[in-house]
Amino acid sequence: MEYIIKNGIVFDPLNKIDGEQMDICIKDGVIVESVSEDAKVIDASGCVVMAGGIDSHTHISGPKVNTGRMMRPEDSYKEIYVKKGLKPGTGFSVPTTYKTGYQYCEMGYTLAIEAAMPPLKAKHVHDEFVDIPQIDKGALTLFGNNWMVMRYLKEKDYELCAAYVAWVLKNTRGFAIKIVNPGGTEAWGWGKNVHGLDDPTPYFNITGREIVRGLCKVNEMLGLPHSIHVHPNDLGHPGNWKTTIETMDCVKDIEPKPKYGERETVYYNAHVQFHSYGGTSWKDFESKGVEIAEYVNKSDHVVVDVGQITLDETTTMTADGPMEYDLHVSTGNKWANCDVELETGSGVVPFNYSPKGPVYSVQWAIGLDIFLNTDPSKVILATDHPNGGPFTRFSRIIAWLMSKKYRDYWLNEVVHRWARTRSSVGDNDKEYTMYEIAQITRANQAKVLGLSLERGHLGVGAIADIAIYEINPEEKDPKVIERAFRYAKYTFKKGEMVVKDGQVVKEVFGDTIYVDVKIDETLERELMKDLDEVFRKYYTIQMENYKVPEYLANNWKVIKIENSQIS
Amino acid sequence: MEVILKLKEDITVPVELDALLPEKMEGMDVEEIRDIEIPQGRTTVKVGDLFEVEIEESDIPKMTIKNSSFKLKRVGEGMTTGEIVIEGDVGMHLGAEMKGGRIVVNGNVDNWAGRGMKGGELIIKGNARDYLGSAYRGGYRGMSGGLIVVEGNAGHEIGEHMHGGMIHVKGNVGYFAGIHAKGGIIKIDGDVLGRLGAEMIKGAIVVKGRVPEVLPSFKYEGIVENPLIKVKKKEEGVRIEGVYHMFTGDYVSKKPKGQLYISVDRNPHLG
Repeated sequence: MEYIIKNGIVFDPLNKIDGEQMDICIKDGVIVESVSEDAKVIDASGCVVMAGGIDSHTHISGPKVNTGRMMRPEDSYKEIYVKKGLKPGTGFSVPTTYKTGYQYCEMGYTLAIEAAMPPLKAKHVHDEFVDIPQIDKGALTLFGNNWMVMRYLKEKDYELCAAYVAWVLKNTRGFAIKIVNPGGTEAWGWGKNVHGLDDPTPYFNITGREIVRGLCKVNEMLGLPHSIHVHPNDLGHPGNWKTTIETMDCVKDIEPKPKYGERETVYYNAHVQFHSYGGTSWKDFESKGVEIAEYVNKSDHVVVDVGQITLDETTTMTADGPMEYDLHVSTGNKWANCDVELETGSGVVPFNYSPKGPVYSVQWAIGLDIFLNTDPSKVILATDHPNGGPFTRFSRIIAWLMSKKYRDYWLNEVVHRWARTRSSVGDNDKEYTMYEIAQITRANQAKVLGLSLERGHLGVGAIADIAIYEINPEEKDPKVIERAFRYAKYTFKKGEMVVKDGQVVKEVFGDTIYVDVKIDETLERELMKDLDEVFRKYYTIQMENYKVPEYLANNWKVIKIENSQIS
Repeated sequence: MEVILKLKEDITVPVELDALLPEKMEGMDVEEIRDIEIPQGRTTVKVGDLFEVEIEESDIPKMTIKNSSFKLKRVGEGMTTGEIVIEGDVGMHLGAEMKGGRIVVNGNVDNWAGRGMKGGELIIKGNARDYLGSAYRGGYRGMSGGLIVVEGNAGHEIGEHMHGGMIHVKGNVGYFAGIHAKGGIIKIDGDVLGRLGAEMIKGAIVVKGRVPEVLPSFKYEGIVENPLIKVKKKEEGVRIEGVYHMFTGDYVSKKPKGQLYISVDRNPHLG
């Protein structure tokens, strides 16, 4: 099938195209120079054309998401999705699999990265991916509290650690290294937490600093497309901004060496809003968003995603077990907790970010502080779905960013006064341009994930994942902005029209992306000796049952790396 | 205007009647009411398919359901004004989320009557089942205002996550009355099976009948006579007659303000 998208106003930051009126040609699922006369014409005059959106940090699949669905029937009741020809779904903050895919697609999104996959539970994650239509998927594998990783890093055996990471990524079909509260979740297994970057975890006696630095080195030895993806220590604690900067700072001397893609950074700080808190308690809690933004602006090695609070009733879920326990104790809400043997843990707690709550209002403002003060090429729009709010609120965040008036309305009329006095959102006049919106919703993601060769842009050769929004680039009316970005006029997935006028018109099933790094044979033998022992002694399952089988995807998309330092 | 609906014959598949609020039907004629679509199981039917419809004069928006059965669900859900009278039994979620008006049931009701109720009156002449005046399954927004009166007995977990308002059960109740309560008053004239007020943070429960035992996480405060119950400090309070054992709790939470008043006469074994 051939298409030609005519007269759209194109925003493509990776190719430095800023609002040029041009035609885009699609043939056989990729963007091409020209098409034949038979091509179907899509009239995009007066519309904005961008590459398909990418959510680089979201929780849409796997055991903790499913636990969230099971423990929150009241969330299911809140939103019901029934459309002709589509599988029905429910859930506002933890939607069912099909609804997740449809709604991402409605918004013009075509790729989402599940941000926390415990290796042992990888089969569950991939099994749910099979049922998420419309988008491509990838999963970040959790390594930050893994016994093997901690053991090798303590022994400073980076080569074996790298071989282990490569083995796990290949066999759990993971996409990159995720680190959650390094050392903290392991400490939670002992009923404790770690405080700060240099607090050692029990038994392994290894600090967050050693884990983050070690895995960052390993990441570059392997030459993975994505950098390490970090949720630092002390999430959600007043005064944690210092830990955040310390963690960013501890890897600044490490060089990015991706063997695939065009990544230039070595550190991805997930949901940095939760890590930019000043003060010493909730009473003197304040925004340090500007300080974090300043650090990010002057550093070349960091990219952050914001994890914006949308002030909704949502469900928090993370591999940071002790944090969820704190949340449960402070709110009295129901709580689920899980320990994943040898690897990680997790927790789930429902949470109501009421706009009237003083702390929640400041959290909301901190996210905006970071957006408004960071260089738009280093910041990424995400809500840490569903922790800060559901992904369906992205369009509202875009409206806050593009319209100062709308932001001020929320600041002055909707949220608690603390947001005005304890942040600098009110003093900031910045309004995002359409080009910058394209940066923070697709281009930056593609680049940092290492997928910018074929995704996140509209150059010739790119996969034809395209979103067309019916909006004037100069539009300032927040209602129009919110509506336009919530329901794309058209979405193309791999060259097929899947959304028209905000309605899913075709159900397609995307790829699951993972990386396969070749390991040197002698190194692999050495690793297997250790692994055999670990599986025999500690795991409750056999190694063969641990591996994700071939059939758990609609289509695997493997990124093979054959020339890493341990190949 | 009064709308009289008479169920033509017993149905097996439940039907949801949240679209039939007296205030919504005000000013409609018989034909229009017959044409209202209501979900039954996985299909949709018209009111006229199941009910005989009549209209009579009335000063207030009113609806009467005759030959009612447990298969009629969500009657009066979200109601804000007017009156609903039900002749017979009625199904789940009666008066759920209702904000005002009055519902009278001359029969029994199924689970979740008055779920998340915010105001108005719900009078049940027969028995009620579980989750009377509670929150939706898994939710934490129970009844926050209004009055529920049950002439008969009620089931388990009544007033779950209750925030305000009052539930008065004249008969007996099951386990866990007032579980997770954060306000409101529950009055029980009959006996309870036990575990009153588990995890309650605020609110009051008064029992005139027998209570086999009180949870160990409640603190005994002594005997009180004709107490004035105040859930919030600035409230006027409700005076109740009699001599009661008073307990506070539930001390599984920090600084709870829940109150239990349990009749001394019927419960000499407590205290």
